[in-house]
Amino acid sequence: MLDVSRVQKELAECNKDKAISGVSINLHRGDDLSHLEGTISGPVGTPYEGGTFRIDVRLPSGYPFEPPKMQFVTKVWHPNISSQNGAICLDILKDQWSPALTLKTALLSLQALLSAPEPDDPQDAVVAQQYLRNHPTFVATAQYWTEAFAKRTSVGIEEKVQKLVEMGFPEALVKSTLDSVNGDENMALEKLCSS
Amino acid sequence: MHDAMANDSSVSASARDFAKKRRVNRSAKLKQCKLDARREQWLSQVKGKSCKVTPMASPPTSSSPPVPMPRPQSCLHDSDMVFASHSPTSNSPGKPPKVGCCPNNSVSSGGSTRSCSLSASDGEEEGARGEENSAIDDWETIADALSAYKVNDGCHPSCDTRGPFVESRVPPAPVNDSGTRSTMNPEPTRTIPRAWRPDDEFRPQSLPNLYKQQSFPANMERHFGAKGWSHPAILSAPSSCPICYEDLDPTDSSFLPCSCGFRLCLFCHKRILEADGRCPGCRKQYSPVEGEMLGMSGVKPLLPFQLSRSYSMGSRS
Repeated sequence: MLDVSRVQKELAECNKDKAISGVSINLHRGDDLSHLEGTISGPVGTPYEGGTFRIDVRLPSGYPFEPPKMQFVTKVWHPNISSQNGAICLDILKDQWSPALTLKTALLSLQALLSAPEPDDPQDAVVAQQYLRNHPTFVATAQYWTEAFAKRTSVGIEEKVQKLVEMGFPEALVKSTLDSVNGDENMALEKLCSS
Repeated sequence: MHDAMANDSSVSASARDFAKKRRVNRSAKLKQCKLDARREQWLSQVKGKSCKVTPMASPPTSSSPPVPMPRPQSCLHDSDMVFASHSPTSNSPGKPPKVGCCPNNSVSSGGSTRSCSLSASDGEEEGARGEENSAIDDWETIADALSAYKVNDGCHPSCDTRGPFVESRVPPAPVNDSGTRSTMNPEPTRTIPRAWRPDDEFRPQSLPNLYKQQSFPANMERHFGAKGWSHPAILSAPSSCPICYEDLDPTDSSFLPCSCGFRLCLFCHKRILEADGRCPGCRKQYSPVEGEMLGMSGVKPLLPFQLSRSYSMGSRS
Protein backbone atom coordinates (compact mmCIF):
# COMPACT_ATOMS: atom_id res chain seq x y z
CA MET A 1 0.00 0.00 0.00
CA LEU A 2 2.89 2.30 0.72
CA ASP A 3 3.95 4.21 -2.37
CA VAL A 4 7.31 2.51 -2.69
CA SER A 5 8.46 4.26 -5.81
CA ARG A 6 7.79 7.66 -4.32
CA VAL A 7 9.71 6.83 -1.14
CA GLN A 8 12.66 5.52 -3.11
CA LYS A 9 12.73 8.63 -5.23
CA GLU A 10 12.44 10.79 -2.14
CA LEU A 11 15.41 9.05 -0.54
CA ALA A 12 17.54 9.59 -3.61
CA GLU A 13 16.36 13.15 -3.97
CA CYS A 14 16.95 14.08 -0.34
CA ASN A 15 20.42 12.62 -0.11
CA LYS A 16 21.57 14.25 -3.33
CA ASP A 17 22.29 17.56 -1.65
CA LYS A 18 22.50 16.61 2.00
CA ALA A 19 25.79 18.45 2.42
CA ILE A 20 24.03 21.70 1.51
CA SER A 21 20.61 21.15 3.04
CA GLY A 22 21.89 19.65 6.28
CA VAL A 23 19.24 16.94 6.24
CA SER A 24 19.50 13.36 5.10
CA ILE A 25 17.39 10.27 5.33
CA ASN A 26 18.26 6.60 5.13
CA LEU A 27 16.72 3.25 5.68
CA HIS A 28 16.67 2.49 9.34
CA ARG A 29 17.59 -1.11 8.93
CA GLY A 30 17.37 -3.71 6.23
CA ASP A 31 15.14 -2.87 3.32
CA ASP A 32 12.02 -1.80 5.14
CA LEU A 33 10.95 1.34 3.34
CA SER A 34 8.39 2.16 6.00
CA HIS A 35 10.98 2.64 8.73
CA LEU A 36 13.57 5.30 8.05
CA GLU A 37 15.97 7.41 9.95
CA GLY A 38 16.53 11.05 9.22
CA THR A 39 19.30 13.29 10.44
CA ILE A 40 19.37 17.04 10.65
CA SER A 41 22.24 19.27 11.60
CA GLY A 42 21.65 21.83 14.31
CA PRO A 43 21.05 25.28 12.84
CA VAL A 44 23.91 27.73 13.10
CA GLY A 45 23.40 30.45 15.71
CA THR A 46 21.22 28.30 17.97
CA PRO A 47 22.03 26.23 21.06
CA TYR A 48 21.79 23.24 18.74
CA GLU A 49 24.63 24.35 16.49
CA GLY A 50 27.16 21.65 15.80
CA GLY A 51 24.86 18.82 16.81
CA THR A 52 23.54 16.10 14.56
CA PHE A 53 20.05 15.04 15.50
CA ARG A 54 18.62 11.71 14.51
CA ILE A 55 14.95 11.30 13.87
CA ASP A 56 13.02 8.11 13.71
CA VAL A 57 10.69 8.15 10.71
CA ARG A 58 7.86 5.69 10.25
CA LEU A 59 5.76 5.84 7.15
CA PRO A 60 2.13 4.79 7.52
CA SER A 61 0.62 2.74 4.73
CA GLY A 62 -1.27 5.79 3.59
CA TYR A 63 1.86 7.84 3.00
CA PRO A 64 2.05 10.34 1.31
CA PHE A 65 -1.64 10.96 1.93
CA GLU A 66 -1.02 10.57 5.63
CA PRO A 67 1.81 12.32 7.43
CA PRO A 68 4.97 10.44 8.36
CA LYS A 69 5.41 9.72 12.05
CA MET A 70 8.55 11.44 13.26
CA GLN A 71 10.22 11.39 16.64
CA PHE A 72 13.58 12.62 17.84
CA VAL A 73 15.88 9.79 18.73
CA THR A 74 18.60 12.14 19.87
CA LYS A 75 17.71 13.82 23.11
CA VAL A 76 17.07 17.50 22.61
CA TRP A 77 16.10 20.36 24.94
CA HIS A 78 13.41 22.26 23.07
CA PRO A 79 9.96 23.60 24.02
CA ASN A 80 8.24 21.77 21.16
CA ILE A 81 10.07 18.46 21.53
CA SER A 82 9.53 16.14 24.43
CA SER A 83 12.66 15.86 26.54
CA GLN A 84 11.40 12.43 27.60
CA ASN A 85 10.59 10.62 24.40
CA GLY A 86 11.41 13.01 21.56
CA ALA A 87 7.79 13.50 20.45
CA ILE A 88 7.42 16.47 18.18
CA CYS A 89 4.70 19.11 18.20
CA LEU A 90 4.55 20.40 14.67
CA ASP A 91 1.41 21.08 12.69
CA ILE A 92 2.65 19.79 9.36
CA LEU A 93 3.21 16.40 10.95
CA LYS A 94 -0.41 16.39 12.03
CA ASP A 95 -3.40 18.18 10.55
CA GLN A 96 -1.43 20.49 8.28
CA TRP A 97 0.31 17.71 6.41
CA SER A 98 -0.05 17.84 2.66
CA PRO A 99 0.83 15.09 0.21
CA ALA A 100 2.79 17.71 -1.67
CA LEU A 101 5.25 17.78 1.23
CA THR A 102 8.10 15.31 1.32
CA LEU A 103 10.31 13.70 3.90
CA LYS A 104 12.94 16.25 3.02
CA THR A 105 10.64 19.22 3.49
CA ALA A 106 9.41 17.73 6.74
CA LEU A 107 12.97 17.36 8.01
CA LEU A 108 13.75 20.89 6.89
CA SER A 109 10.70 22.01 8.85
CA LEU A 110 12.10 20.29 11.93
CA GLN A 111 15.35 22.12 11.37
CA ALA A 112 13.39 25.36 11.21
CA LEU A 113 11.58 24.39 14.38
CA LEU A 114 14.95 24.11 16.16
CA SER A 115 15.70 27.67 15.03
CA ALA A 116 12.33 29.06 16.00
CA PRO A 117 10.76 27.46 19.08
CA GLU A 118 7.07 28.08 19.75
CA PRO A 119 6.86 28.14 23.55
CA ASP A 120 3.19 29.16 23.39
CA ASP A 121 2.29 25.82 21.87
CA PRO A 122 4.60 23.54 23.81
CA GLN A 123 5.16 19.84 23.70
CA ASP A 124 7.32 19.89 26.84
CA ALA A 125 5.84 22.21 29.44
CA VAL A 126 8.93 22.26 31.64
CA VAL A 127 11.19 23.33 28.79
CA ALA A 128 8.63 25.88 27.63
CA GLN A 129 8.42 27.41 31.11
CA GLN A 130 12.16 27.66 31.29
CA TYR A 131 12.33 29.13 27.80
CA LEU A 132 9.90 31.88 28.78
CA ARG A 133 10.98 32.63 32.34
CA ASN A 134 14.66 31.85 32.43
CA HIS A 135 15.96 32.07 28.95
CA PRO A 136 19.72 32.01 29.75
CA THR A 137 19.27 28.76 31.63
CA PHE A 138 17.28 27.36 28.75
CA VAL A 139 20.08 28.23 26.30
CA ALA A 140 22.70 26.71 28.59
CA THR A 141 20.70 23.52 29.06
CA ALA A 142 20.01 23.17 25.36
CA GLN A 143 23.70 23.65 24.61
CA TYR A 144 24.64 21.07 27.18
CA TRP A 145 22.21 18.55 25.77
CA THR A 146 23.49 19.21 22.30
CA GLU A 147 27.04 18.69 23.49
CA ALA A 148 26.15 15.57 25.45
CA PHE A 149 23.79 13.80 23.08
CA ALA A 150 24.07 15.25 19.59
CA LYS A 151 27.81 15.45 19.02
CA ARG A 152 28.86 11.88 18.78
CA THR A 153 31.04 11.65 15.76
CA SER A 154 31.34 8.51 13.76
CA VAL A 155 34.93 8.30 14.97
CA GLY A 156 33.57 8.13 18.50
CA ILE A 157 31.33 5.26 17.55
CA GLU A 158 34.21 3.45 15.93
CA GLU A 159 36.20 3.84 19.13
CA LYS A 160 33.35 2.43 21.22
CA VAL A 161 32.91 -0.48 18.86
CA GLN A 162 36.64 -1.10 19.04
CA LYS A 163 36.53 -1.02 22.86
CA LEU A 164 33.64 -3.44 23.11
CA VAL A 165 35.07 -5.78 20.52
CA GLU A 166 38.27 -5.86 22.55
CA MET A 167 36.15 -6.95 25.53
CA GLY A 168 35.32 -10.04 23.51
CA PHE A 169 31.95 -9.30 21.91
CA PRO A 170 31.43 -10.00 18.19
CA GLU A 171 31.72 -6.84 16.11
CA ALA A 172 28.36 -7.20 14.34
CA LEU A 173 26.54 -7.63 17.63
CA VAL A 174 28.37 -4.68 19.17
CA LYS A 175 27.41 -2.44 16.27
CA SER A 176 23.75 -3.36 16.32
CA THR A 177 23.59 -3.07 20.08
CA LEU A 178 25.25 0.34 20.07
CA ASP A 179 22.85 1.36 17.38
CA SER A 180 19.82 0.27 19.36
CA VAL A 181 20.84 2.34 22.39
CA ASN A 182 21.84 5.36 20.33
CA GLY A 183 25.54 4.90 20.89
CA ASP A 184 25.43 4.90 24.66
CA GLU A 185 28.51 2.86 25.55
CA ASN A 186 27.44 1.86 29.05
CA MET A 187 23.95 0.84 28.06
CA ALA A 188 25.35 -1.19 25.20
CA LEU A 189 27.70 -2.97 27.56
CA GLU A 190 24.83 -3.70 29.89
CA LYS A 191 22.75 -5.07 27.09
CA LEU A 192 25.59 -7.15 25.70
CA CYS A 193 26.25 -8.63 29.13
CA SER A 194 22.63 -9.42 29.82
CA SER A 195 21.99 -11.02 26.44
CA MET B 1 -18.40 32.03 -27.18
CA HIS B 2 -18.72 30.41 -30.55
CA ASP B 3 -22.15 29.21 -29.78
CA ALA B 4 -23.23 32.68 -28.92
CA MET B 5 -21.81 33.94 -32.16
CA ALA B 6 -23.63 31.31 -34.16
CA ASN B 7 -26.87 32.10 -32.43
CA ASP B 8 -26.55 35.76 -33.05
CA SER B 9 -25.74 35.36 -36.68
CA SER B 10 -28.66 33.01 -37.18
CA VAL B 11 -30.91 35.46 -35.45
CA SER B 12 -29.81 38.29 -37.63
CA ALA B 13 -30.13 36.10 -40.69
CA SER B 14 -33.66 35.18 -39.81
CA ALA B 15 -34.38 38.80 -39.18
CA ARG B 16 -33.17 39.55 -42.66
CA ASP B 17 -35.39 36.90 -44.19
CA PHE B 18 -38.29 38.15 -42.25
CA ALA B 19 -37.66 41.63 -43.47
CA LYS B 20 -37.53 40.48 -47.05
CA LYS B 21 -40.89 38.83 -46.73
CA ARG B 22 -42.35 41.93 -45.24
CA ARG B 23 -40.79 44.18 -47.79
CA VAL B 24 -43.68 43.52 -50.15
CA ASN B 25 -46.12 44.89 -47.71
CA ARG B 26 -44.52 48.22 -47.37
CA SER B 27 -46.91 51.07 -47.64
CA ALA B 28 -47.16 54.77 -47.54
CA LYS B 29 -48.10 54.45 -43.95
CA LEU B 30 -44.72 53.02 -43.22
CA LYS B 31 -43.08 55.92 -44.93
CA GLN B 32 -45.15 58.34 -42.99
CA CYS B 33 -44.22 56.62 -39.80
CA LYS B 34 -40.58 56.89 -40.59
CA LEU B 35 -40.81 60.50 -41.42
CA ASP B 36 -42.61 61.18 -38.20
CA ALA B 37 -40.07 59.19 -36.33
CA ARG B 38 -37.25 61.05 -37.91
CA ARG B 39 -38.77 64.40 -37.02
CA GLU B 40 -39.29 63.31 -33.47
CA GLN B 41 -35.80 62.04 -33.28
CA TRP B 42 -34.34 65.18 -34.70
CA LEU B 43 -36.29 67.32 -32.29
CA SER B 44 -35.17 65.35 -29.31
CA GLN B 45 -31.58 65.41 -30.43
CA VAL B 46 -31.61 69.12 -30.89
CA LYS B 47 -33.02 69.34 -27.42
CA GLY B 48 -30.11 67.25 -26.24
CA LYS B 49 -27.62 69.65 -27.88
CA SER B 50 -26.40 67.05 -30.29
CA CYS B 51 -23.99 68.83 -32.56
CA LYS B 52 -23.47 65.92 -34.87
CA VAL B 53 -27.05 65.71 -35.94
CA THR B 54 -27.73 69.37 -36.34
CA PRO B 55 -26.32 69.68 -39.87
CA MET B 56 -28.50 66.77 -40.84
CA ALA B 57 -31.54 68.71 -39.92
CA SER B 58 -31.50 70.84 -43.03
CA PRO B 59 -32.02 68.02 -45.53
CA PRO B 60 -35.74 67.82 -45.98
CA THR B 61 -37.34 64.99 -44.10
CA SER B 62 -39.56 64.21 -47.00
CA SER B 63 -36.80 63.16 -49.34
CA SER B 64 -34.70 61.13 -46.97
CA PRO B 65 -35.08 57.38 -46.95
CA PRO B 66 -35.47 55.61 -43.63
CA VAL B 67 -31.77 55.79 -43.03
CA PRO B 68 -31.77 57.87 -39.88
CA MET B 69 -33.99 55.40 -38.15
CA PRO B 70 -31.27 52.98 -37.34
CA ARG B 71 -29.31 55.47 -35.34
CA PRO B 72 -31.05 55.45 -32.03
CA GLN B 73 -31.82 51.81 -32.47
CA SER B 74 -28.31 50.85 -33.26
CA CYS B 75 -27.01 52.51 -30.15
CA LEU B 76 -29.11 50.65 -27.72
CA HIS B 77 -27.76 50.67 -24.25
CA ASP B 78 -28.65 47.90 -21.93
CA SER B 79 -31.48 49.95 -20.60
CA ASP B 80 -32.66 50.73 -24.08
CA MET B 81 -32.58 47.12 -24.95
CA VAL B 82 -34.85 46.32 -22.10
CA PHE B 83 -37.16 48.94 -23.35
CA ALA B 84 -37.00 47.75 -26.91
CA SER B 85 -37.72 44.19 -25.99
CA HIS B 86 -40.74 45.32 -24.07
CA SER B 87 -42.07 47.66 -26.69
CA PRO B 88 -43.50 45.02 -29.04
CA THR B 89 -45.89 43.86 -26.39
CA SER B 90 -46.85 47.29 -25.28
CA ASN B 91 -47.37 48.61 -28.78
CA SER B 92 -50.54 47.64 -30.47
CA PRO B 93 -49.88 46.60 -34.08
CA GLY B 94 -51.61 49.52 -35.61
CA LYS B 95 -49.99 52.10 -33.47
CA PRO B 96 -47.15 54.08 -34.97
CA PRO B 97 -43.95 52.74 -33.54
CA LYS B 98 -42.21 56.05 -33.33
CA VAL B 99 -43.52 56.69 -29.87
CA GLY B 100 -41.98 53.55 -28.52
CA CYS B 101 -38.94 53.66 -30.65
CA CYS B 102 -37.12 56.79 -31.52
CA PRO B 103 -37.70 59.64 -29.17
CA ASN B 104 -37.32 57.72 -26.00
CA ASN B 105 -34.20 56.07 -27.12
CA SER B 106 -32.56 59.14 -28.42
CA VAL B 107 -33.37 61.02 -25.27
CA SER B 108 -32.19 58.40 -22.91
CA SER B 109 -29.01 57.62 -24.75
CA GLY B 110 -27.97 60.86 -26.27
CA GLY B 111 -24.30 60.16 -26.00
CA SER B 112 -24.31 56.92 -27.80
CA THR B 113 -26.63 58.27 -30.44
CA ARG B 114 -24.04 60.78 -31.38
CA SER B 115 -21.29 58.27 -31.47
CA CYS B 116 -23.36 56.11 -33.72
CA SER B 117 -23.94 58.81 -36.21
CA LEU B 118 -20.18 59.09 -36.32
CA SER B 119 -19.25 55.50 -36.52
CA ALA B 120 -21.93 53.49 -38.12
CA SER B 121 -24.30 55.18 -40.44
CA ASP B 122 -22.30 57.92 -42.15
CA GLY B 123 -20.96 55.90 -45.02
CA GLU B 124 -24.19 54.19 -45.47
CA GLU B 125 -26.00 57.43 -45.78
CA GLU B 126 -23.82 58.39 -48.71
CA GLY B 127 -24.94 55.30 -50.49
CA ALA B 128 -28.51 55.65 -49.54
CA ARG B 129 -28.85 59.33 -50.21
CA GLY B 130 -28.52 58.82 -53.92
CA GLU B 131 -31.42 56.44 -54.00
CA GLU B 132 -34.91 57.82 -54.02
CA ASN B 133 -37.82 56.52 -52.08
CA SER B 134 -38.83 54.36 -54.96
CA ALA B 135 -35.70 52.32 -54.65
CA ILE B 136 -36.03 51.03 -51.15
CA ASP B 137 -35.04 47.52 -52.12
CA ASP B 138 -31.90 48.80 -53.77
CA TRP B 139 -31.14 50.81 -50.73
CA GLU B 140 -31.29 47.74 -48.61
CA THR B 141 -29.08 45.88 -51.00
CA ILE B 142 -26.55 48.62 -50.80
CA ALA B 143 -26.77 48.65 -47.05
CA ASP B 144 -26.14 44.93 -47.07
CA ALA B 145 -23.12 45.31 -49.24
CA LEU B 146 -21.81 48.16 -47.16
CA SER B 147 -22.21 46.30 -43.96
CA ALA B 148 -20.48 43.28 -45.38
CA TYR B 149 -17.71 45.52 -46.59
CA LYS B 150 -17.32 47.04 -43.19
CA VAL B 151 -17.16 43.70 -41.52
CA ASN B 152 -14.46 42.48 -43.80
CA ASP B 153 -12.56 45.68 -43.91
CA GLY B 154 -11.50 47.55 -40.88
CA CYS B 155 -11.78 44.96 -38.19
CA HIS B 156 -9.00 43.56 -36.10
CA PRO B 157 -9.39 40.11 -34.70
CA SER B 158 -10.56 41.73 -31.54
CA CYS B 159 -13.52 43.21 -33.39
CA ASP B 160 -14.66 39.77 -34.37
CA THR B 161 -14.87 38.81 -30.79
CA ARG B 162 -16.82 41.85 -29.94
CA GLY B 163 -19.15 41.48 -32.87
CA PRO B 164 -21.68 39.30 -31.07
CA PHE B 165 -22.24 41.98 -28.52
CA VAL B 166 -23.40 44.38 -31.16
CA GLU B 167 -25.46 41.85 -33.00
CA SER B 168 -27.06 40.66 -29.85
CA ARG B 169 -28.95 43.90 -29.63
CA VAL B 170 -30.96 42.98 -32.67
CA PRO B 171 -33.21 40.21 -31.38
CA PRO B 172 -36.07 42.51 -30.38
CA ALA B 173 -36.75 43.13 -34.04
CA PRO B 174 -37.85 39.71 -35.31
CA VAL B 175 -40.02 39.20 -32.28
CA ASN B 176 -42.02 42.19 -33.24
CA ASP B 177 -45.60 41.70 -34.27
CA SER B 178 -46.12 45.13 -35.70
CA GLY B 179 -45.75 45.09 -39.46
CA THR B 180 -44.39 48.57 -39.58
CA ARG B 181 -41.79 48.01 -36.97
CA SER B 182 -40.63 44.72 -38.26
CA THR B 183 -39.80 46.27 -41.58
CA MET B 184 -37.82 48.97 -39.93
CA ASN B 185 -36.07 47.16 -37.20
CA PRO B 186 -33.93 44.83 -39.24
CA GLU B 187 -32.12 47.84 -40.56
CA PRO B 188 -29.90 48.26 -37.54
CA THR B 189 -28.75 44.75 -38.15
CA ARG B 190 -26.99 45.88 -41.23
CA THR B 191 -26.01 49.32 -40.22
CA ILE B 192 -23.78 48.32 -37.35
CA PRO B 193 -21.95 45.14 -37.98
CA ARG B 194 -18.89 47.13 -37.12
CA ALA B 195 -17.88 46.58 -33.55
CA TRP B 196 -16.95 49.18 -31.02
CA ARG B 197 -13.33 50.03 -31.05
CA PRO B 198 -11.62 50.37 -27.69
CA ASP B 199 -10.83 54.00 -28.48
CA ASP B 200 -14.37 54.93 -29.46
CA GLU B 201 -15.29 57.93 -27.44
CA PHE B 202 -18.77 56.73 -26.65
CA ARG B 203 -18.06 53.09 -26.37
CA PRO B 204 -20.49 51.75 -23.75
CA GLN B 205 -18.74 50.93 -20.55
CA SER B 206 -20.78 47.80 -20.22
CA LEU B 207 -18.84 46.22 -23.05
CA PRO B 208 -16.17 43.88 -21.76
CA ASN B 209 -12.64 45.04 -22.00
CA LEU B 210 -10.97 42.63 -24.30
CA TYR B 211 -7.45 43.52 -23.39
CA LYS B 212 -8.15 42.52 -19.85
CA GLN B 213 -9.37 39.17 -21.03
CA GLN B 214 -6.40 38.60 -23.23
CA SER B 215 -4.01 39.22 -20.40
CA PHE B 216 -5.91 36.94 -18.07
CA PRO B 217 -3.61 33.92 -18.32
CA ALA B 218 -0.60 36.11 -17.71
CA ASN B 219 -2.23 37.48 -14.61
CA MET B 220 -2.93 34.00 -13.41
CA GLU B 221 0.65 33.03 -13.85
CA ARG B 222 1.82 36.03 -11.91
CA HIS B 223 -0.71 35.38 -9.23
CA PHE B 224 0.34 31.80 -8.83
CA GLY B 225 3.98 32.68 -8.98
CA ALA B 226 3.48 34.89 -5.98
CA LYS B 227 2.19 31.98 -3.97
CA GLY B 228 4.97 31.37 -1.53
CA TRP B 229 6.03 27.81 -1.38
CA SER B 230 4.51 26.19 -4.41
CA HIS B 231 7.02 25.98 -7.18
CA PRO B 232 6.16 27.79 -10.42
CA ALA B 233 7.20 24.75 -12.44
CA ILE B 234 4.45 22.74 -10.81
CA LEU B 235 1.93 25.30 -11.89
CA SER B 236 2.93 25.73 -15.48
CA ALA B 237 3.72 22.28 -16.79
CA PRO B 238 4.84 19.62 -14.38
CA SER B 239 6.07 16.50 -16.11
CA SER B 240 5.27 14.26 -13.18
CA CYS B 241 2.66 14.19 -10.46
CA PRO B 242 4.07 15.86 -7.35
CA ILE B 243 2.24 13.35 -5.18
CA CYS B 244 3.03 9.97 -6.66
CA TYR B 245 5.97 11.09 -8.84
CA GLU B 246 4.55 9.22 -11.81
CA ASP B 247 4.64 10.88 -15.21
CA LEU B 248 1.57 12.89 -16.11
CA ASP B 249 -0.21 11.77 -19.25
CA PRO B 250 -1.95 14.35 -21.46
CA THR B 251 -5.20 13.86 -19.60
CA ASP B 252 -3.55 14.57 -16.30
CA SER B 253 -1.72 17.53 -17.73
CA SER B 254 -4.97 19.23 -18.68
CA PHE B 255 -6.46 18.52 -15.28
CA LEU B 256 -6.64 21.61 -13.10
CA PRO B 257 -8.75 20.76 -10.08
CA CYS B 258 -8.02 23.77 -7.91
CA SER B 259 -7.97 27.49 -8.58
CA CYS B 260 -4.59 27.69 -6.88
CA GLY B 261 -3.18 25.98 -9.95
CA PHE B 262 -1.79 22.94 -8.20
CA ARG B 263 -1.75 20.03 -10.62
CA LEU B 264 -1.74 16.37 -9.86
CA CYS B 265 -2.73 13.16 -11.51
CA LEU B 266 -6.29 11.89 -11.52
CA PHE B 267 -5.48 8.95 -9.31
CA CYS B 268 -4.03 11.07 -6.55
CA HIS B 269 -6.88 13.54 -6.89
CA LYS B 270 -9.41 10.76 -6.45
CA ARG B 271 -7.50 9.44 -3.50
CA ILE B 272 -7.55 12.86 -1.85
CA LEU B 273 -11.25 13.30 -2.49
CA GLU B 274 -11.86 10.02 -0.74
CA ALA B 275 -10.00 11.36 2.29
CA ASP B 276 -10.15 14.95 3.51
CA GLY B 277 -10.56 16.44 0.02
CA ARG B 278 -8.13 19.30 0.46
CA CYS B 279 -5.88 20.56 -2.30
CA PRO B 280 -2.27 19.61 -1.52
CA GLY B 281 -1.09 22.91 -2.91
CA CYS B 282 -3.16 25.37 -0.87
CA ARG B 283 -4.78 23.08 1.74
CA LYS B 284 -8.18 24.49 0.81
CA GLN B 285 -11.11 22.20 0.29
CA TYR B 286 -11.63 21.16 -3.28
CA SER B 287 -14.79 22.72 -4.67
CA PRO B 288 -17.87 21.22 -2.98
CA VAL B 289 -19.46 20.41 -6.33
CA GLU B 290 -16.79 17.89 -7.06
CA GLY B 291 -17.00 16.49 -3.58
CA GLU B 292 -20.72 15.91 -3.80
CA MET B 293 -20.43 14.29 -7.17
CA LEU B 294 -17.86 11.92 -5.88
CA GLY B 295 -20.03 11.16 -2.92
CA MET B 296 -22.95 10.18 -5.13
CA SER B 297 -21.10 7.62 -7.15
CA GLY B 298 -17.61 6.38 -7.58
CA VAL B 299 -17.57 6.85 -11.34
CA LYS B 300 -17.93 10.57 -11.17
CA PRO B 301 -14.33 11.78 -10.91
CA LEU B 302 -14.42 12.04 -14.68
CA LEU B 303 -16.84 14.91 -14.47
CA PRO B 304 -14.66 17.23 -12.44
CA PHE B 305 -12.00 16.50 -14.96
CA GLN B 306 -14.22 17.56 -17.83
CA LEU B 307 -15.28 20.70 -16.07
CA SER B 308 -11.81 21.69 -15.21
CA ARG B 309 -10.54 20.91 -18.64
CA SER B 310 -13.04 23.20 -20.26
CA TYR B 311 -12.12 25.80 -17.70
CA SER B 312 -8.45 25.57 -18.44
CA MET B 313 -9.09 25.77 -22.15
CA GLY B 314 -11.19 28.83 -21.65
CA SER B 315 -8.56 30.55 -19.63
CA ARG B 316 -5.86 29.79 -22.14
CA SER B 317 -7.58 30.89 -25.30
